[in-house]
Order: sequence, then C-alpha cells, then structure tokens
Amino acid sequence: MIPMSLLLTFSALLFCIGLYGIITTEKGLVALMCIELMLNSANINFVTFSAYGPWSNGSDMVGQAFVIFSIAIAAAEVAVGIAIMLSAYKISGTNNTLELSTMRW
Amino acid sequence: MLEYAYLIPLVPAICFVIVGLFGKKTPEGGGYIAILGSIISCILSIAVSYEYLTGKLYSTGRSFEMSVEWLTVAGFKINFGIYVDILSCAMMFFASLISMLIFIYSLGYMKGEGERKRRYYAEVSLFLTGMLGLVVSSNFLEMFIFWEIMGLCSYLLIGFWSFDNPDAQQKSSAAKKAFLVTRLGDVCLMGGLFILLYVFHTLDYTAIFGRRFFSDSIFYLGKMSINHYLLFIALFLILGGAVGKSAQFPLHDWLPDAMAGPTTVSALIHAATMVKAGVYLLARTSPLFIICHRGNMALIIVAGIGAITAFFAATMALNNMNIKKVLAYSTLSQLGYMFLGLGTGSFLIWYGFYTISFGVLGLGAIVYFAAVFHMFNHAFFKALLFLGSGSVIHSCGTEDMRLMGGLVKKMRTTAVTMLVGALSISGFPLLSGFWSKDMILEAALVTGEYLYYVFTIFYILGMAAAFMTAFYMFRMWFMTFSGEPRENAQHCHGESPSVMTFPLYILAAFAMFSGVVVIYALDSVWQTWFGTNDILEIVLTSKWTPISVMVALVGIFVADLMYRMRVVNPGWFNRNGKGIIYRILADRYHIPQLYDYISWKIGYGVACIVDYFDRNVVDGVVNGLSNVVIGNADVAKKMETGYVRDYTLLVAVGVFVLVLTLFAVVKGVI
Repeated sequence: MIPMSLLLTFSALLFCIGLYGIITTEKGLVALMCIELMLNSANINFVTFSAYGPWSNGSDMVGQAFVIFSIAIAAAEVAVGIAIMLSAYKISGTNNTLELSTMRW
Repeated sequence: MLEYAYLIPLVPAICFVIVGLFGKKTPEGGGYIAILGSIISCILSIAVSYEYLTGKLYSTGRSFEMSVEWLTVAGFKINFGIYVDILSCAMMFFASLISMLIFIYSLGYMKGEGERKRRYYAEVSLFLTGMLGLVVSSNFLEMFIFWEIMGLCSYLLIGFWSFDNPDAQQKSSAAKKAFLVTRLGDVCLMGGLFILLYVFHTLDYTAIFGRRFFSDSIFYLGKMSINHYLLFIALFLILGGAVGKSAQFPLHDWLPDAMAGPTTVSALIHAATMVKAGVYLLARTSPLFIICHRGNMALIIVAGIGAITAFFAATMALNNMNIKKVLAYSTLSQLGYMFLGLGTGSFLIWYGFYTISFGVLGLGAIVYFAAVFHMFNHAFFKALLFLGSGSVIHSCGTEDMRLMGGLVKKMRTTAVTMLVGALSISGFPLLSGFWSKDMILEAALVTGEYLYYVFTIFYILGMAAAFMTAFYMFRMWFMTFSGEPRENAQHCHGESPSVMTFPLYILAAFAMFSGVVVIYALDSVWQTWFGTNDILEIVLTSKWTPISVMVALVGIFVADLMYRMRVVNPGWFNRNGKGIIYRILADRYHIPQLYDYISWKIGYGVACIVDYFDRNVVDGVVNGLSNVVIGNADVAKKMETGYVRDYTLLVAVGVFVLVLTLFAVVKGVI
C-alpha cells in the first residue's frame, strides 16, 4: 500500500506547482488551469484522508463524496472563469494578466 | 396667594405664545390678549404684594421663597423658584402696572401697523415676562435667564421698524448697538455669577443673603467666612452687568439710539423694564457690596458712575431737538441718580457696619430705600413723559421739537399730563420726583461732609444735573406746547384717542401722588424699625431741601425765559449752533465715535488675531491630519497593483503565515 505521506507530498507538490504557475504566468487561461491544479490537489487531500483516516472500519466515504461535489463545483467554476476570460478578451483584446489591470489604484 | 407668584411672569409668557401663534386671527393682532395678560399679571402682583406686605413674613422682616430643584451639576445645586421681598414687590407692582397701561396705549399708537401688530404684541408680552421673571426669581441664574430674555426683546423691539422704513439701516443698527453694548455687560455679569457660585457654592438668594432681608442679611453674610478678594472681583463684574443694562457712563450710548423703536417700546424700556433691571441687580446685590472688606471702593465707584452719568447725560439733553432723545437722556440722568443713591446708601451702611455705628447704618438704609424709591417714582413719571411724547408724535408726525409748538390748545390732556411729568422729574415740591431725588442728593452731601470728600463732588454734579433736568424738561415742554404753532403743529390731528389719554391720566395721578403715599405708608414702618429716623422729618426739615427746590425752580424759570417769554435768545449762548460746547454736546462728546474707534481697533484687531488663529491653528490641525491620511493612503494604495499574481502571492503568503502561527500555537511555541 502506498504510504499516506507520499500521497500528501504529491498533493502538496501539485498545489505548489499550481501556485507557482499562477504567480509566474502571464496567460489567463494558464492561470485558470493552475487553479484547477490547486483544486485537484485539495481533492487528493480529501481522498487521502478519507482512505487513511483513523476510522474503525478502515475508511470513511464522506471525504470522497465531498470530492464529487468539489469536482462538480470546479467544473462550474471553470465555466465561469472561461466566460470571464472570453469577455475580457472581447473587451481588451488580450488575455495577458499583466495587461488586464484596470482595477488597480 | 404668595405661592402663586410664579403665575406673574407665566401669564405674559402664555400670552406671548398665544399671540405669537394665533395673533393674526384675533382682533388687533392679539393686542387684547396681551392686555388681558398684563392685567392679570398686574392684579396678581398687587395681590401678592398686598398679602406679603400685610402678612407675618414682612412684619418679621423675612422674605418669601419657594423653589424646586432644577439641576445638580458637579455638586452645585441650582433651583428654580420664586422669591418675594419688598424690593421685588415694588418692582413687580410698577413693572406690571406700567406695562399694562403701555399695552392699552399701544392699541391707539400702533393702530396703523397692520400685520406687524402680532409681532409687536408678542414681543412686548415676552418683554414683560422677562422683567417680571427677573424680579420674582429666587436665584441669580434664573434671574440671568430672564435678564437675557429682556436683552433679546429689547433688540427685537428697538429694531421693530427695521423693515420697509426709510431709515431701516439706521434703525437696525440702533438695535444691534443696544444688543451688543448690553452684551458686554452681560458677559461681565455672567463672569461675576461664576465667581459668586465659586465663592458661595450656591446662587440662591436665600442661601446667600439668609432668609431675612437687608440689615439682617448683612450680619448673616458678615459671619460667613468667604474669599473677599474673589468676591471683590465678582462685585466689579456684576457692577459691569448693571452698568451695561442700565446704560450708565461708559456703556450709556445705546440708550439714546434705542429711540429708533416705537415710542411705546421706549416707554417700556425706560420706565417699566430693561434699564430698571440693572438698578434692581445692584439693589439686590448691595448686601454683598457691603460685607466685602474693600466694598467701599466698589461703592464709591457705583456712586461716581451714577453722578457722572447724571451730569453728562443731562448736558447732552440741553440742546437736543428730538423730543424722544431729550427724554432718553433724562432717563440716563435719572438712572445716574439711582446709582448715586445706591452707592451712597450702601457706602453708609458699609461704614456703619464696619464701625458698628447703627445711626450711620440706619441712615444708609434710608438712602438705599430712597434710591429704590426713585426708581419707583421714575417709572411712573418717565412712562408718563414717554407716552405723552408718543401722543404728540402720533398727532404731529414728527419727533423734531422745532416743528412743533403751540400744541397746548390742540392737545390739552397731553399738555397737562406732560406738565405734571415734567414738574415731577424736575423735583417740584410734593410731586413724586422731589422726595426721592432730594433724599439721594442730601445723603451724598452729608456723606461728603462727614465721611469722604468725594461725595461732595458727587453732590455738586447731582445738583447741577438737577438744575439741567428742570431746564431741559421745561425747554421740551415749552418748545412743544407753548408759543406759535410751527410747521407740523399747524396740521396736527388734535388730541389722541381716549385709549391713549386714559393711561396718561392714571400715570399723571401716580406721578403726582406716589411719592407722598409711599413716604406716608413707610414712615410708620421705618419709625418702628429705626426709632427716631423719621423720613418725613429728614426730607422736609433738612436745611438743604430749599436749595434743591430753588435749583429746580431756577431751572424752570430759565427755560421759561428762553423758550416761552423769549426774552433771552438761546442762540446767543451757542453762537447759533456753532459754539464748541454746543457741537460737542450735539456729537454726544464724540462717544459714539469712540465706540466705533474702539470696536474698529480692538474689536477688529482681536477679530484678525482670532481669524489668523482659526485659519492657521484650528484649520491647520484639521487640514494637517487630513493631509497625513491622504498622503499615507497615496502610498498604501500602491499595493493595489491590479496584477493577479500579486494578489495570489499575498494570499498565499497570508495563508502560510496563518498556518505557521496556528502550528506554533498548537505546539505551544508562542
């Protein structure tokens, strides 16, 4: 059986990759993808704790049920995110996050 | 009955509200309601005075006091209530009676005012409230409230004609002058009251003066251990308040200008209310002057201010051509006599108190009484003279005496009643003014002879003023009523309606007899109190009485020679209005210019400094604070870069720090 720490490390790595991607990228769509990576790292955490938790019968399905919800919500969120990106592109002709900065001071 | 004394100021106050709200719907703009209120006040005043004077309280020398607690601040308890003693009895009697007569007279005099009658009757009702409230108040703070109500009403009424009038500018500035000059005194008074509150820890009359009045209250106060230096300062400030309100020498100049208002208002201000408040304040606080160790200084100043005002105001009346202004100066002069009387009387009491000589003390009490008595008499004859002059103005349509003349045939009632008033104010024997004025002047002479020479100077000034009073009063009467009718007098409307002459008759009766009646009524009282001190005897058998009578008669005779018989041409004295003295008098000793100069230099200077302070210090602090906030915000807002990556980084770092902290707390590191 895969040790729990390995799964958690993998999840943390995934999160860090997502975060790093968001911080460094200039492309809006890439940023959306990175958000998906971070979300999925959280899902992996859910599943891991659900499977390895200190439960008497070995596992608890609640965490996995949450993951289903989370994936559904992520799908909706991606739809909204892409819609925002599309309309931002329509208005300003670019998806570069450094150029989409009209909401600053 | 005594416990209903609070109704005396309350009834006119209710009338003020009713007239103010519904005056337009009632006949005469609410005039009848105001008159009804003043009649009720007058009846109540007479009933309260009667009950008090015949009751046990008066015969045992105590005053009536009833009050409820109003507020308690920092350990100081302030009450609100009524206080009746012989002084307030006298004051409320003449204030309400004369106001009633003036209100009735107003029905005729203000007939043509139309819509504005409502304002007039509402304001005079409030004025009466102020005066009556002032005299029945049971403590200094309550008195000060009514004092200020009167100040406001005088401003409103003096400026009554500041709209739709050819002289609107001049009339409104007269109102402002009256308000601001009396304000100067009011600020002094307020300061004085603060110090009194500090010294006595209360402002109640009963707590300060004790429950018994005058002579007893002096001994009551004398036993108190109080800070005499502070008290001395407080007394000077209170004197400042009285000087402002009663228009005494440096602050006198608002009163002649106050003639801008309707004549009835002048009568109200001069005879019944307002200027009497200052004298009342001094009479009320005189025990404090007496017990103060250095009080004699303050009292000499009171007497000196009085004598100087009596003299200088009389000189300014000598050549004035405006019938109302002559009367205004005579009011100043007579108020000067009251101050002189109060100062001299209280000085004698002070001396008697400190040297424990009861004869001097008793004499002082009589002189003090004479001053209050003069205020009482003056109220009647001055109201009479003002209402008479109002009747003349109403009929001739001018205030300039050069345009009058010969009115005795057309306005017999006014002429005769005004003659009574003029004789009374001149001190013609047995008329009311004679008694009190003579007593005051003789007291000054006696004090000067035996105690302090300055009072001799005051006596001479007072005597000169008495001569001038007789002269200018009869000059006014002769110029108005005798000789050939001039310009306006030729087409005058004849005698005023009976609603205006009826008050003249009543006031003339008082001007004739009030002196004798009061002297007789009080003679027995004083005899029981002071044994041999018989007022009648003092006044009538004094070797100095003939002098004052002679002075009055000579004054009348000179006026007769110059203005009725015309054997002496007045123009010969003043080089037809070009003489230096004549011009100085006509310019009122340049004191109005002095006021302007002072207010321009000092007032404007102070205003500039305050303006500078306001702009640079007060505004500077506020603006500086806002600039600091704006500057910091300018720096801080740079954090909002608008880049997704920056926000993400911030959130990530925030979460990282949060998680670390949480770990540290859980592990017990922090």
